[in-house]
Amino acid sequence: MNRNSKLWYMLFTMPLFLIFLTVVVIPFLIGIYYSFIDWDGIPSNPKLFVGLDNYATLFQDQRFLDSAWQTIKFTVFALISVNLLGLIFSLIVTAGFRTSNLARTLLFMPNLIGGLILGYIWRFIFTDGFKQIGETTGIDSIFFNWLIDPNYALLALVIVFTWQMAGYTMVIYIAGIQGISEEVMEAAKVDGANLWHRITKIVFPLLMPSFTICLFLTLSGAFKIYDVNLSLTNGGPIHTTELFAMNIFNEIFGYGNYGLGQAKAIVFFVIVALVTLTQVVITKRKEVQM
Amino acid sequence: MGKARNGVISTLIVIGALLFLSPIYIMLVNSFKTRSELYENVLALPGSFSFEYYAGAMKKMNFLTVLGNSLYVTIATVIFVVILSSMTAWMLVRRDNAMSKIIFFSFVATMLIPFQTLMMPLMQVMDWIRTNLHLPMLNTHEGLIFMNIGFHAGIAVFLYHGFIKSIPIALEEAAVLDGASTFGVFWRIVFPLLTSITVTVAILDVIASWNDYLLPSLVLSDKGLRTIQLSTFYFFGEFTIVWNQAMAGLTLTIIPVVIFYAFAQKYIIKGIAAGAVK
Amino acid sequence: MKKRWAFVLLSAMLIVLSACGNNANNKANEGTSNTGNNANQSEKLEKITLFQSKVEIAEALENLVVKYKEETGNEVEVWGSAGDSYITQLQTKLAANEGPTIFSVQPGAEAEKFASYYHDMTNEPYAEYISPNMALEIDGKVVGMPIGVEGFGLVYNKELYDPSKVTDTNSLVQQLEQFKADGINGLSLSQEAYFLIGHIINTPFALQEDPVAFIEQVNKGEVKLSEVPAFQEFAQVMDAIRANSVNPMEVTYDTQMGDLATGKTAAVHQGNWSYGMLADYDEMEIGMAPLPILGNDKLAVDIPAGWVINNKASEAQIKAANAFIDWLYTSETGKNTVVNDFGFIPAVTTIEPTGLDPLSQQVFDATQSGNTISWALNYFPQGIIINDLAPLTSEFFLNTSMTPEQYLEKLGEVWAKAAK
Repeated sequence: MNRNSKLWYMLFTMPLFLIFLTVVVIPFLIGIYYSFIDWDGIPSNPKLFVGLDNYATLFQDQRFLDSAWQTIKFTVFALISVNLLGLIFSLIVTAGFRTSNLARTLLFMPNLIGGLILGYIWRFIFTDGFKQIGETTGIDSIFFNWLIDPNYALLALVIVFTWQMAGYTMVIYIAGIQGISEEVMEAAKVDGANLWHRITKIVFPLLMPSFTICLFLTLSGAFKIYDVNLSLTNGGPIHTTELFAMNIFNEIFGYGNYGLGQAKAIVFFVIVALVTLTQVVITKRKEVQM
Repeated sequence: MGKARNGVISTLIVIGALLFLSPIYIMLVNSFKTRSELYENVLALPGSFSFEYYAGAMKKMNFLTVLGNSLYVTIATVIFVVILSSMTAWMLVRRDNAMSKIIFFSFVATMLIPFQTLMMPLMQVMDWIRTNLHLPMLNTHEGLIFMNIGFHAGIAVFLYHGFIKSIPIALEEAAVLDGASTFGVFWRIVFPLLTSITVTVAILDVIASWNDYLLPSLVLSDKGLRTIQLSTFYFFGEFTIVWNQAMAGLTLTIIPVVIFYAFAQKYIIKGIAAGAVK
Repeated sequence: MKKRWAFVLLSAMLIVLSACGNNANNKANEGTSNTGNNANQSEKLEKITLFQSKVEIAEALENLVVKYKEETGNEVEVWGSAGDSYITQLQTKLAANEGPTIFSVQPGAEAEKFASYYHDMTNEPYAEYISPNMALEIDGKVVGMPIGVEGFGLVYNKELYDPSKVTDTNSLVQQLEQFKADGINGLSLSQEAYFLIGHIINTPFALQEDPVAFIEQVNKGEVKLSEVPAFQEFAQVMDAIRANSVNPMEVTYDTQMGDLATGKTAAVHQGNWSYGMLADYDEMEIGMAPLPILGNDKLAVDIPAGWVINNKASEAQIKAANAFIDWLYTSETGKNTVVNDFGFIPAVTTIEPTGLDPLSQQVFDATQSGNTISWALNYFPQGIIINDLAPLTSEFFLNTSMTPEQYLEKLGEVWAKAAK
């Protein structure tokens, strides 16, 4: 019986895990190995083992450190705005209005557009669109070309990311909300709990698993953002919005420092993993057991 | 809540959602404009609504072929991801031992790795598999599907894992006592209970496969294999974009997913309703 | 019983992927053995692949290989990529031994980077067609066929700008001030790295006696750019642009050319390729003039890229690749496509250019008279234009308190750092 049970365990988990191992884990381990060598990324060119040199270099790379800081700022803002908006959307479209289904489809639509083109579309808004609004309304302290101002350019990235991801988290929150049984809600209504109480006392605690998932997904999405970064600001003005993935990409493919780029990736991975896993552990603890 | 009030709020919600979507307006209007019209005013309506750029984009992209390719890759990916990750996640939840923890942790942790740092080693591993195991992982749809499964596994297992934990184990135990095999318990009892999260996973995974550009661009080289996203490269030069055809092409690539989503989300509600009746 | 079903289903699922794959593999093997047989009977050559970075010619190239197959029976598969992801894809595919048979590289740093992949073309018959000094060479060997010739300088509206009056830096600066007074955008750059700085900074480098040696010195930080006359004048021009023209950071390539076409801008720093951007506008008279730093009267002309053959390809594929390149430059279909469909200014003696657009015609005339300066920018350290020069230059345009001297000083600093 015990042997049998192990067999079932393997049968259920191994197919996926083996694929995952070949596609993600092994390349990642090879990547760690590359972080100890000096190489330009051209297969037939020499690879030189340099030990921890790449790691030493990256901590002196001011641009990398700036990029890491910008990425953290971006992630914090994005985390808040995406989840707030996603949650509000999900509450609205599950409140039983007639147009809920339509609204749900519409709100999710930005997510159907790939990141690159999304950045191009928004570039028109922040440059031409804002300029036109500024000129016609006269409020040009807000409506100017955001993409050439370092602070506003990062904010622009947050807005576009939020626009794209809010619908995504909405879907997950909806799944969570629909998992809450109607009876519980009805009972609360009968007991005279108002909407605010129903949301804060019943919905939120039961939504904890959804929060865990959404926070984690937003976090990993924000830390890894590349496409929108590339097409909206391309790191500009003056490197101020060069977020982490783009910095690594430029190191690897722009400067041809493959090993250094991999070392950066490893360092950032370790930091991000610590942050997000702490987050997962914390929110998981708050999940309500059924 | 009064009917009238419901109606008013319902209308407001749709108006709000449309406003939220206004950037898509830019995509639509500019799919009808010439370069000079776009230069004059990005936000203005086009001078004429001729579908020539749509026709041009479809012809350039070889639309029917690439649509077929994308459908094949996406559908196969999603089916495998759903089947394999729901099974894996269920085992990981129900047998919560050290091994499970390690497996789950590695699925989750690797979601944080930027793809850009994996792509070169990944291609080398695939080349190794091709040379030594004689499985053509590169320049085939099947190779791409295989890699898609690996990359999408993390999020799918993560979503299923969270959901399965909230399902009471009692039903499963009862089925085991009735003599059902592990396999039977999962497919007859557990999987039907997972419908709503399955649809969620499927939606998110359809989008991820459908919109992916970078991985397919590395794996698929031949013209006949291109997916719908890959085929839009014609419009994206190094310095400029053929805006009208790019926007038209983009609109065309989105339509199938919009239809799918509109259809699938109805299914979520049905699934929920069915569950409630039981 | 149920368990057996479970095994069957699971193993079936696992096998599906590999089975599909195996089939494809077998097919591919059959394919190659067939072509092997055919080669003995007729002249059927191995199928080859071609990968290149110019999206603009992608469709024409696909049409060309269809005609190639009709005429010769041989097959070429054309791969595609968006303009800015080409090098990444090329590099990754080479890493996976999935490299194309023929691909394109830019001369200079990019060509050096992939140097270990080039088949030596020196003794191929088609190498003799290359116009003087237009071959892509490494260590004295011809490794690439030029895809064409391109040139850049000041592209101007003939109604607004008269190059005969603007012959040196001083007259250019005065002209820009005059334009500002008249409410016209005198000289417009745009925010894309190459159009902001990459091309315009080529002139002071190309004007040095030995540009490549000079770049070496700058790489090592041995030159103070602020003491080099050509750079002093270059910074003066950049300063005049900042003072008198629309901020380039507000301008995209699209608006830059739109402004030129609608008479809002008198001149832009651009190349002959930009003519294509004007197709949708009303016709206008335009020309190309040199950037007159230090009285320079020459356009910057060079080959933008070369076709190279991957020496890691099989013998048979290299043979087929040679045949295709030869066909491209000798057959009527090939020659016609290069000039008319690609719209390239030919860099080979076998093709007579016909029907060139006005800008390309001017560039072609310059190559004929030898009145050109080189693209020193090809020898800049890898990635420096996008990663270092463009950000610094945007800082210069956004921060008006940065003086031209400071700009040059910082330029030297970031350069030496990037070249490490």
